Amino acid sequence: MIQALFLGGAGLMLLAAAAGVIGGGDSGAGRRKAALALVIAGTVAWMAASAGVLADGAAVDFTLYRLAPDLAFAFHLDRLSAFFCLIIAAVALCTAVYSLKYIEHGAGGRQRDFLTAAMAVFILSMGLVAASANFFALIFFWEMMSLSSLLLVLYERDRAETAKAGVYYLVMTQFSTLFLLLGALLLHRYTGTFNIGAADLSPAAAGLIFGAFFIGFGTKAGVMPFHKWLPFAHAAAPSNISALMSGVMIKVAVYGLVRILLDVLSPELWWGTVLLVFGIVSAVLGVIYALKEHDLKKLLAYHSIENIGIIVIGLGLYVIFSHYSLAALADLSLFGALFHTLNHAVFKSLLFMTAGSVVAATHSRNIEEMGGLVKRMPATAVIFLIGAAAISALPPLNGFASEVMLFQAYLGAFQVPSPLTAVLLFTALAAFALMSALAAACFVKAFGAVFLALPRSKEAEQAVEAPRAMLIGPGILAAACVVLGIFSAQIFRAAGFDLPLIDLLPVTAVTGAIFGLAVFLVRRSGSRVRLSETWGCGIHRQNSKMEYTASGFSEPIVTIFSPIFRTRKSLRREYADRDKSIVTGGSGEIHTLQFFEERIYLPAARLVQRLSGFVSRLHNVDLDAFVLYAFVVIVILLLAVGRWL
Amino acid sequence: MAEYLLYAVLNIGFITAISPLLLGAIKKVKALSQGRVGPPLLQGYYNLAKLLKKEIIYSQNTSFIMRLAPYLNIGFLLAAAAMVPVVFLPSAEGAPGNVILFLYLLVSAKFFMALAGLDAGSTFGGMGSSREMSLSAIIEPVTITSAAALAFVLKTTDIPEMFAAVLGASLAQYPTLILIGMSLFIVLIVETARIPVDNPETHLELTMIHEAMLLEQTGPKLALMELSYGVKQTVLMAILINIIFPWGLAAEATLPAIAVSMLSFGLKALALAAVIGVFESLMAKIRLFRLPSFFMLALFFSFVTIVFELLA
Repeated sequence: MIQALFLGGAGLMLLAAAAGVIGGGDSGAGRRKAALALVIAGTVAWMAASAGVLADGAAVDFTLYRLAPDLAFAFHLDRLSAFFCLIIAAVALCTAVYSLKYIEHGAGGRQRDFLTAAMAVFILSMGLVAASANFFALIFFWEMMSLSSLLLVLYERDRAETAKAGVYYLVMTQFSTLFLLLGALLLHRYTGTFNIGAADLSPAAAGLIFGAFFIGFGTKAGVMPFHKWLPFAHAAAPSNISALMSGVMIKVAVYGLVRILLDVLSPELWWGTVLLVFGIVSAVLGVIYALKEHDLKKLLAYHSIENIGIIVIGLGLYVIFSHYSLAALADLSLFGALFHTLNHAVFKSLLFMTAGSVVAATHSRNIEEMGGLVKRMPATAVIFLIGAAAISALPPLNGFASEVMLFQAYLGAFQVPSPLTAVLLFTALAAFALMSALAAACFVKAFGAVFLALPRSKEAEQAVEAPRAMLIGPGILAAACVVLGIFSAQIFRAAGFDLPLIDLLPVTAVTGAIFGLAVFLVRRSGSRVRLSETWGCGIHRQNSKMEYTASGFSEPIVTIFSPIFRTRKSLRREYADRDKSIVTGGSGEIHTLQFFEERIYLPAARLVQRLSGFVSRLHNVDLDAFVLYAFVVIVILLLAVGRWL
Repeated sequence: MAEYLLYAVLNIGFITAISPLLLGAIKKVKALSQGRVGPPLLQGYYNLAKLLKKEIIYSQNTSFIMRLAPYLNIGFLLAAAAMVPVVFLPSAEGAPGNVILFLYLLVSAKFFMALAGLDAGSTFGGMGSSREMSLSAIIEPVTITSAAALAFVLKTTDIPEMFAAVLGASLAQYPTLILIGMSLFIVLIVETARIPVDNPETHLELTMIHEAMLLEQTGPKLALMELSYGVKQTVLMAILINIIFPWGLAAEATLPAIAVSMLSFGLKALALAAVIGVFESLMAKIRLFRLPSFFMLALFFSFVTIVFELLA
């Protein structure tokens, strides 16, 4: 039954993909809608299948096609896979609803068909990765996922920025696959099988394999310093695709990491430290870069890096606490990480979708050119606000519900017997708190600059509310943010997990009661309400130039963290006199150093280029030289064979 | 459940009622130390009564954020107040009191206050929001580390349980609490926007943070914001008081015990208010970008506590 539902869902998505590409010319909005309806039906089937596995607890195994004894498209749906399938299907469902209208915003007819088709393939491949029973199938579908998303990123391929994003994404995604392949092959060498299952390895081999998988999955997840593709690709892709990439695709990488840690390898303490440190660096730097960012979609992308950091921190804590046999804390960390994976999928795809509506309405991604949209797009504003509050971890929403689980795990650090580890954990806790508060600051900035005060451009002034489909999609997710937060403790209890969770229901009730009481009292006081102008210190007419800008808002934080931003301020003044008291003119500029780009990525790229230049020079020679190469190779082979024999 | 309801209503009511008095007391102490007579002790109540009668004026640029923020603020802060027992210690069952949840309720209130600051499009509001969120970001690690140190020393993350732990013990049993007390005092100063961080007395654009965000609030809405501020201050004072000087806090819900609790808390809070007033009078305001080093001092105390406890 579950197998049939899962395969049926996959079949529907294949059908949707086919509907988009078969036949020439523009297939029309009607057929695209039909294709999206097929995707929606497919996701519903997947949700049913996943819910079945989650409720039942028994794993479902089936094989689709066997190439060779060891190479098969085999699937294994257990609770972990089903949990991730559920996330993928739920977010994909809302994104597909949103896409019904959003797709018609983009470039030309044929390209829209293609966008629909590639989106269906993308969703399909993500689900199949999470369900794969062996590394052969996993890497196959992983590549399918990477390539379909690459094509989607290149949707608006005429723009120079998109080309740059495409190159970064292509290189980094292949880098990721390469390390996964390495990990899978190493595992095959030691265990003789590609199946995903417990492997009995020496510590050195296990460490090596963990390293390969960590880099492979970490690159796709956007863990720093492998993150650089993420802001580019998310910004360049159409917004429904950004929602899928950030909401789900990077979670598929998290799935891989969790699977490796739980079922394949037996983790050691230093892995936990590695995960914790990489997680903290990603989380803190992610949010600090987001604060400086004024491209709405890049800002959200940097927050994805931050949240992946939080999830990786959770996994790191799980490994550390498991090492010290603190089972309760380990469970809390692991479930915190998994719950945050779900929550981030929900609120981040919501944020990307509403950001897409805003960008479609204002024709700009620069938040400095927005403002005042709360009056023009009220429903979008409310949905975005719920997402913003959730990602800022405000109680009682879902972002808080999962972050507080990690906080509780951290506060249990005094049970760790090693003082060194305990100090590490408390330091990490301080960084975690910093990250969380900076995220709140960043979303006050984002919501304020985009939605509040007066519009700062003509386009923002003329913006209109998004069509209904583009509100329903993220609207469902906003409701999920509220429900998953307030009832988090009840949901965990119903699922049969006994964790020491904080019940957010009483707090919500108290806050609500006070809120109601305050509204009642103010209404009762019978105060007259009058509209007037903003107080401006005697200014006659206020305009949008007088507002605080997004750059102005983040300036204090940028100044405080200037060593991290590596901003260089340079001032040049010209003087009229020798004593330098009369200034005639000058210039000043603030330059941000792109640390990762300038110090890691570009040098690496240049190195690769130089190496490939060397290789191509070897090719570019006449016949004599080739004969020489052949001779040298034969001699080396003979020597090697002779030695081996 | 019934006991918890009684506790919640009493605790929230008492904290709400005493907050304007404490605000007035600090003002009075400051005035006296500067050689002025100062406003009457009960000025806080007069202000609220006056504001409740005034009309509400909204800027025409504003949205629902401006209208909702005062309600949300008082809602979040009084929910936080329910977690800090001052009238009596509720039984552990069903009483929410997690310290992280408590701190994040404060953040929630701040989040909506900062949004309301941006809503009218005024430069002052924006400036206030920006500074508030920046300072809040750098004080947060300090606050959480102090909470972690408290949880470490008292072996619980629940605020009522923390109070219960120190109530049954002497300070000599937990010497590191004095260090945490210093951290908590700095957190209190920062979170209530007092000198040397902010100056609650002025409306001068160079110094103001908290006040700048409230410039556009009027009438009963302003009264709610002022009251929220007072509640936040009382709650933070209550944590400091009940950790360092817990005497008098009732362990069970009998009428005389509750009366003793309220009276002793009132007296201790007035004493702490006097300390804050003198501290404010002695200090000069620190430049905004020098503040992180002031916060580091608090972080240092908490970290020293943690290291002490680890070595012990």
